[in-house]
Amino acid sequence: MKRQLLAILMMSAAMAVPAQADITGVAEDAPIPADTGIKLAPGFRATVFADGIGAARHMAVSDNGWVYVALMKPEEGFGAVALYDSDGDGKADERVPFARGMSGTGMGINDGHLYFAEDERIMRWPLPEGGAPEGEAEMIVEGFPNKRQHSAKPFTFDSDGHLYVNIGAPSNACMEKMRTKGSPGMDPCPILEEFGGVWRFDADKAGQTQVDGMRYATGIRNAMAIDWNPHAGALYIAQHGRDQLNSFFPDMYTEQQSAELPAEEFHRVEEGADIGWPYGYVDPDIEGRVLMPEYGGDGKATTDRGQEPLIAFPGHWAPNDLLFPRSEVLPAEMRTGAFIAFHGSWNRAPKPQAGYRVVFVPMDEAGAVSGDWVTFADGFAGEGPIMSPRNAKHRPTGLAEGADGAIYISSLMSGGRVWKVVYEGQ
Amino acid sequence: MKANKFAAALVAASLTGAAYAQDEEADGGTGQALYEANCAACHQYDGGGVPMMQPELILSEKANGDIGGVIDMILLGSAAVPAGTSGYSNEMPPFDYLSDEDIALIASYVRTHFENSGGAVTADDVRARRASHAGQ
Repeated sequence: MKRQLLAILMMSAAMAVPAQADITGVAEDAPIPADTGIKLAPGFRATVFADGIGAARHMAVSDNGWVYVALMKPEEGFGAVALYDSDGDGKADERVPFARGMSGTGMGINDGHLYFAEDERIMRWPLPEGGAPEGEAEMIVEGFPNKRQHSAKPFTFDSDGHLYVNIGAPSNACMEKMRTKGSPGMDPCPILEEFGGVWRFDADKAGQTQVDGMRYATGIRNAMAIDWNPHAGALYIAQHGRDQLNSFFPDMYTEQQSAELPAEEFHRVEEGADIGWPYGYVDPDIEGRVLMPEYGGDGKATTDRGQEPLIAFPGHWAPNDLLFPRSEVLPAEMRTGAFIAFHGSWNRAPKPQAGYRVVFVPMDEAGAVSGDWVTFADGFAGEGPIMSPRNAKHRPTGLAEGADGAIYISSLMSGGRVWKVVYEGQ
Repeated sequence: MKANKFAAALVAASLTGAAYAQDEEADGGTGQALYEANCAACHQYDGGGVPMMQPELILSEKANGDIGGVIDMILLGSAAVPAGTSGYSNEMPPFDYLSDEDIALIASYVRTHFENSGGAVTADDVRARRASHAGQ
């Protein structure tokens, strides 16, 4: 009973942000529509834009409506696919694979070019009028070391010709021995020299390597969710928090605490920022950042290393993409906010897994959070509870916005799917 | 209010989860307990793994194959898998600090559950595999 109360308190604390903007999210008891498999905030309608495209990750949409999707595993030999709906029924009827022999996560459009990131390199092509890009890709940044864990390279652009790349830490908590019970954390964490941060590059210069880039921010375990906020003119990320507090420290963390902790963190990231990994994590019940147990923490002691997040989301939800909408099609109170896709947890076992949704964060033009976040799209995983991640039917992995204001959501499960979500008014 | 409702739903789901875990495969004994303490966080309690991240153990080739397959995974972790051949992103640490007896119990549990029928292994099997890796 005490545990339930604690959980309720913790969840409430996680969601306690100043309430101003009034945005309605998905009704929790709403049924999941059978035709699309997802339920949406009032006023929005979804179509299944494409099905069976493979392990879909991040996406980009050209001004003329072509949707470019990165694939984490090659699909029939190709690492990306271009999709187009020529008759306007909300379903892609053209499907052109590209990036032969490749695979990756990052996809973006900047200054007339289509950028695609494999785990070791970021390349671009001139953005075609339609269809797949043609010809040899131009390598913009090459030679990222691939250590498998957190090796995807999501990226974004500012308006001044810079490319920002997440270089995830190939580590859980910078332990001396990788994910091994009883192994202490290294201090200073040497992984942060080359990983665990956002590096900034010239978006327009071919042949760069990591040393040509500048470490823009550090202390970021892995930020799959990264986007430039065009309204505030600043970089934002959502971080995947550490795993396995209970497996490594069963005397300090119960299974329930381990399922809820640490919070997934949403940050504004200024140049030179230190988010705080691996020295601390966020517990919504405790003021300040909690010292990691690998660094001598007891679950209560705090550390001054690292900055406070804007929002602490529930543990292990796994933020996988971040999108600041740029069109003026959405309702006025949503235009300067952020969408975050949570692909859903694996590290809550034996408790039910959670996440598997897209949320919306109301924000003002200056980039400050201006209200309670709401669930924008839900039901991806199917009817729960989801005890094991393999039972989640879909897991949202990417977000993109069309010039017409449509929001695209990708999933890599069940053969891969992309939804198109349009605003139809209240 | 909305947040509270959501939290309540989550808590309700948690309680269902506890019941589920207890009802599952009660016959694994110590092997199951060791599996749950050391392996289940990543490979999940149902052996289902995590798509793209950690392999599932259900109907696993290794768990239905040679005696050394599962033992080597436990002893060596990801190092037991030839570089570049894994489709999973997370790295598995070596669990060589566990005793031969405990590794045998875990390997036997995995080889006789999750729809696998590879059969049990012994502490002597683990000892032999450990010795074969010692000089490498």
